[in-house]
Amino acid sequence: MKHWRTVFAAVLYRDLVMFQRYAFNTVSGLITLYIVFLLIFFGISKFDGGAVVSASTVESMIVGYVLWSMSIAVYSELAWSITNEAQVGTLEQLYLCPLGFGFVNACHLVSSLLTNVLFNAVLLLAAMATTGRWLLIDLVSLTPVVLLTLGGVYGIGFAVGGLALVYKRIQGFFQIVQFIFVGFMMVPLDVVPWARWLPLAMGNELARRIMVGGQRVWHFPVGDLVTLVVTAAVYLALGVVAFRVAERVARNRGTLGQY
Amino acid sequence: MGAAISVTPSASVALEVSGLHKVFPGKRPVHAVTDVTFCVPAGDVIGLLGPNGAGKTTIIKCVLGLVRATSGVTRVFGAETSNHPGRVLSSAAAVLEGARNTYWRLTVWENVCFFASLHGVSARDPAHRRYFEGLLARFGLEGRLKTPVRELSTGLKQKVAVVSALARRTPLVFLDEPTLGLDVETAYELRRLLPELARDEGRTLVISSHDMHVVQAVCRRVVIMSGGRVIADDEVANLLALFRSRRYRLSMPGALPGDAVAGVRSLDAAARIEVEDGVTKLELQLPAAAALYRLMDLLRDAGVVVETIVQSEPDLEHAFLELVRRERERQ
Ligand SMILES: Nc1ncnc2c1ncn2[C@@H]1O[C@H](COP(=O)(O)OP(=O)(O)OP(=O)(O)O)[C@@H](O)[C@H]1O
Ligand SMILES: [Mg+2]
Repeated sequence: MKHWRTVFAAVLYRDLVMFQRYAFNTVSGLITLYIVFLLIFFGISKFDGGAVVSASTVESMIVGYVLWSMSIAVYSELAWSITNEAQVGTLEQLYLCPLGFGFVNACHLVSSLLTNVLFNAVLLLAAMATTGRWLLIDLVSLTPVVLLTLGGVYGIGFAVGGLALVYKRIQGFFQIVQFIFVGFMMVPLDVVPWARWLPLAMGNELARRIMVGGQRVWHFPVGDLVTLVVTAAVYLALGVVAFRVAERVARNRGTLGQY
Repeated sequence: MGAAISVTPSASVALEVSGLHKVFPGKRPVHAVTDVTFCVPAGDVIGLLGPNGAGKTTIIKCVLGLVRATSGVTRVFGAETSNHPGRVLSSAAAVLEGARNTYWRLTVWENVCFFASLHGVSARDPAHRRYFEGLLARFGLEGRLKTPVRELSTGLKQKVAVVSALARRTPLVFLDEPTLGLDVETAYELRRLLPELARDEGRTLVISSHDMHVVQAVCRRVVIMSGGRVIADDEVANLLALFRSRRYRLSMPGALPGDAVAGVRSLDAAARIEVEDGVTKLELQLPAAAALYRLMDLLRDAGVVVETIVQSEPDLEHAFLELVRRERERQ
């Protein structure tokens, strides 16, 4: 049965076409994120009274910012695209796929992860070039850490996407969640140890150790890695379960469409 | 060997809905569909009719698993689908009401290819590709393949939605209000195309529409709904015959006196009275053959001279309105 390959190719192609046709949106999104980065960068420089900001502060900031940017892309791809498709009335057509909406959505998540990585690689390069701080890009260590960090974000995306299926018009809530992400990343783990169980927190910490501290993934204490894996798995699982429940409720209430 | 060729009796039945109930939960639960049972033979084209809120869309979505039925059984080509939405989907596609059904940002061709692919029908297969091209040509879209759907008129958009559903090449297709918002000409075209498709490809179509002309022209059978229940389920020809002999148009000089009007109203005949250029035109649907004598008697008693009386050819619209009216009165 190569039916699934047909669906996968179709979703990939659809996303590619949309991506290149709306390249302007992508570019302007990139520019916006870059400008915000500049504001933060010059902001913290000022905050330190014009003195030279410690190199590691800037470097940590770059790591955090790019990770945040990847997270909001992952999150909005899930939560926003489901809501949007429900509203315009294409979501139900996706639900008519015999392989299930779950499969179509998974294909979409894979293709959007690819564009997400590309997009943020550019943002990272721009940020590093502007600040003159060249971080260590150890792909072997970064890939698993970043994927696991995003795992938790996928969970949140599923949960909010599920909410959107049942309760329409929660756009205001969408944006708020993006800023909550910042909070998750800003909590200092040495001061608030339990915060490591929050989504993004441990991943951000480990990514920083890799890119700023030059550590490799096998240098990390087992406890930290376990925290990373467990938080990713738990948030993802909770999100998927929440989405499934929301789907059931939406089917019951007839709200999969735009009613 | 017998088992290998055993034909399940319902294999020739495309869709069976039995005892379907849907109550939308909420502070005030909505009984959208109540005990609906009907059956669609394979290859048939049936119309699902009913006033707004009758439950047509809900039935279609329940069958497709987009809405969870409260109770009841649905079977598609003999396979029970009530609790296995996956099963129905491999043999059914749909154009849903009030939704875009297509991506406005993509072109016509991209849409058709994308939605067909969801059913594993890929344009990379030359046979499917030719089929898509043929379908698009039939619907007069061959010159628009590279146009983004967003730029098309409402009618063309709707055609793209219909083609995108048909391109999935499923034996069963639901079209919920396919002619909504279409101009007379486009609706007329669809009227011609749909039966052609059903005939040429042996597909089963379930069409819900408020456009009686479309239904009368396209469907062999209709299921008429009102208030969530089926109030008629018959061949169009039979429904028309039911009303054939009892529909009359009378014209009389001058206005009707009050007691004549009251008398006519009391006949329970959905009478329509219009006065035009000093001539009263009375159109009614008599509930029983004998009612014609009563009508003539009461007109004579009121001193009305009947100038002409014609037995008018009924159409589905009148049959429909009459059935729904009677159902509402019964309640
Ligand atoms: N998601 C929902 N939640 C609550 N009530 C609903 C929902 N969807 C439909 N209804 C109600 O169920 C009833 C049947 O609606 P349905 O849309 O099936 O009717 P319809 O025959 O398709 O009408 P129309 O001709 O207007 O399309 C209506 O009273 C409607 O208000
Ligand atoms: Mg409807």
